[in-house]
Amino acid sequence: MFKNQIAVVVAGVRRLTPHISEYLLAAADGRPLPNYEAGAHIALYFETQDGPLVRHYSLVRQRDGVDANSGTYRIAVQRENRPRGSAYIHDHFDVGTHLKISHPRSHFTLDRRDAKSLLIAGGIGITPILSMANSLANRHRTFELLYIGKHADAMAYFAEVMQLGAQRVTVHTTGTPHGTRPDLAALLAAQAPGTSVYVCGPSSLVQATQVAAEESGWAPQRVHAELFAPAGTGGEVGFSLELSQSGRTLHVGPHTSILEAMTAAGLHPLFDCARGECGLCPLQVLDADGPLTHRDRFLSDDEKASGKKLCICVSRVQGSRLVLAA
Amino acid sequence: MTHSMKPISIQIKNTTPEKVDAEFEPGGFADHSTPLVMNCWYVAGLSNEISRDIISRRLLGTDVALYRTLKGEAVAVRNRCPHRSFPLAKGRLDGDTLICGYHGMQFDPSGRCTHMPSMPITPANAAVRSFPLVEKAPLVWIWMGDADLADESLIPDTHWLGDPQWKSVSGAFHMQSDYVAMHENLLDQTHFPFLHPGAIGTPEFARSTLEVRQEGDVIIIDRELKDSPPPGVYAMPTGLTGKLVHRYSEARFASPALHTAFAKIVDPTPPPGAQAEFRFNITHVFTPETNGSIHYWWFNSRNFKLDDAASDDFLHAASAKAYLEDVDALQWILDVVKNDVQPQFDLNFAPDKPGLLMRRVLYARAAAEAGVQM
Repeated sequence: MFKNQIAVVVAGVRRLTPHISEYLLAAADGRPLPNYEAGAHIALYFETQDGPLVRHYSLVRQRDGVDANSGTYRIAVQRENRPRGSAYIHDHFDVGTHLKISHPRSHFTLDRRDAKSLLIAGGIGITPILSMANSLANRHRTFELLYIGKHADAMAYFAEVMQLGAQRVTVHTTGTPHGTRPDLAALLAAQAPGTSVYVCGPSSLVQATQVAAEESGWAPQRVHAELFAPAGTGGEVGFSLELSQSGRTLHVGPHTSILEAMTAAGLHPLFDCARGECGLCPLQVLDADGPLTHRDRFLSDDEKASGKKLCICVSRVQGSRLVLAA
Repeated sequence: MTHSMKPISIQIKNTTPEKVDAEFEPGGFADHSTPLVMNCWYVAGLSNEISRDIISRRLLGTDVALYRTLKGEAVAVRNRCPHRSFPLAKGRLDGDTLICGYHGMQFDPSGRCTHMPSMPITPANAAVRSFPLVEKAPLVWIWMGDADLADESLIPDTHWLGDPQWKSVSGAFHMQSDYVAMHENLLDQTHFPFLHPGAIGTPEFARSTLEVRQEGDVIIIDRELKDSPPPGVYAMPTGLTGKLVHRYSEARFASPALHTAFAKIVDPTPPPGAQAEFRFNITHVFTPETNGSIHYWWFNSRNFKLDDAASDDFLHAASAKAYLEDVDALQWILDVVKNDVQPQFDLNFAPDKPGLLMRRVLYARAAAEAGVQM
């Protein structure tokens, strides 16, 4: 049977900026970790004093030779202003820390047929984009990289990005949150028809890129995007989850999904993609004392409006009590 | 352009995976049980084998489906639907869209899923693995390893196969042997007079001085033999039968996928107005199917008598016969090595040096890919 989780140990920690640290992960059994393609991410599963957590991070690939084939993974974690998740990692992960990860997942991949690849990274969104840039550089392919951040000292891998060469890299610093924005419309309009764009960063950047591509008449398959913190599991209220068939009552914390809470409680609900697409996890809603927040792409608008089903991987309730048929 | 380059059909057999030895020790030599070198360009097939009809082929243990887009671009994806492992080559093409024959899941040439008929949305995380592919006719090169290292400039030179100044005859074998033994066979010229008597080797050639040199991961043998009769395979097309000629040859382990042999025959006393120098470029292409089976394509190219059908026929027959002798020998050897239970550490002699250097290169590369520091 294909096992989804791999036991790893933190083999190195490196501070990249005041708020971003890089963690080197190696398999706990010393074997090489599976190969991955640039743009891939992994899920991190770890225990905190408040229960289990799952977080997703892109794999950062160095130029060839450094660790391309050494069977280890690098992730870069930006400390967010939240009590758990990234802050927990910053406070507790050190060399020797054991945790579990998923196999690499490739949801954001380079189309190797591109005549040219235009890479756009906003902030910590540089992680999959740098992997892509290194892949393209290794293969001597044509690409251009726009890296947007507040200022150089706050931008992870700034030196590595600059090493890719001035003819390929443009850095745009905004200075303040209200600083100037790069002219994405002009950037995309200037590209030849064989160019594809890959963007990763905050939703505003991803949306702006998508709008610019649409306005320039780009076919949708030329636009590849990865959103940070996708339809997610953070910044919510906790609630009580009653399961009618098993008779169990669980607490779902504000930073945990229903799926994670059920899995942590030893239940085995069906799921596959864990991102609201495959349609395997929806459960029947029997009662809820607040509005349902649907964040999946699977259920139709009518199904969402009816309030009878919920994708437990990404959707939840804005209330204190939810009853599901499980 | 080339003679008898017929499409060949290679069946995927249900072979048991070979036993692979993942333990590495410093200074070791690759053999049939060493993990295959993955980060390398290998030949997926010939240009004329890849068409709008999807074919499948097992390459380095992984089943690959090969087809062409409407524009003629060759595409390689895993021959295994990510949904329920249906062989995608048994599906069909609709334009450039590959449609699985089981549930109709659709993929574009990059491997991205564009439609899943049984789902209300197109799942963004669904894709079939695609492989980097570069066509340098008549060869189509594929990278089965880490795609982010697939630098096209690493594809070894075979330009003479597509050069109108050269004429090639060719053939193919699907054989039960390992690529290590095949490469060793080609770096070992002392077997020529015995396994291929009268054809490609002469006793003088087997005893002639050889110079071996290593340039990075490339092993090169240079030989020079003066005032000696040419071997049978070269005598007829050059018309130098019985004459004493100078022979200059280079045999090259160019990559785990390729061995090339360049021969130059010089007639020191050409008749007035006649050609004095004749070149043959021999190309041996290997793609492991598994640790114990390989796809083998050979080309015998010459830069003279380009339109001479008699030379084509002669060179094709002589080459095919010699290479079949190699194939038979290597299949017998692997059968003994795998099935004779009493271990044997093969003896090595001075002429085995090029082969041992090559086996060390393959071993070190396999170890590096396994993350083992040597």
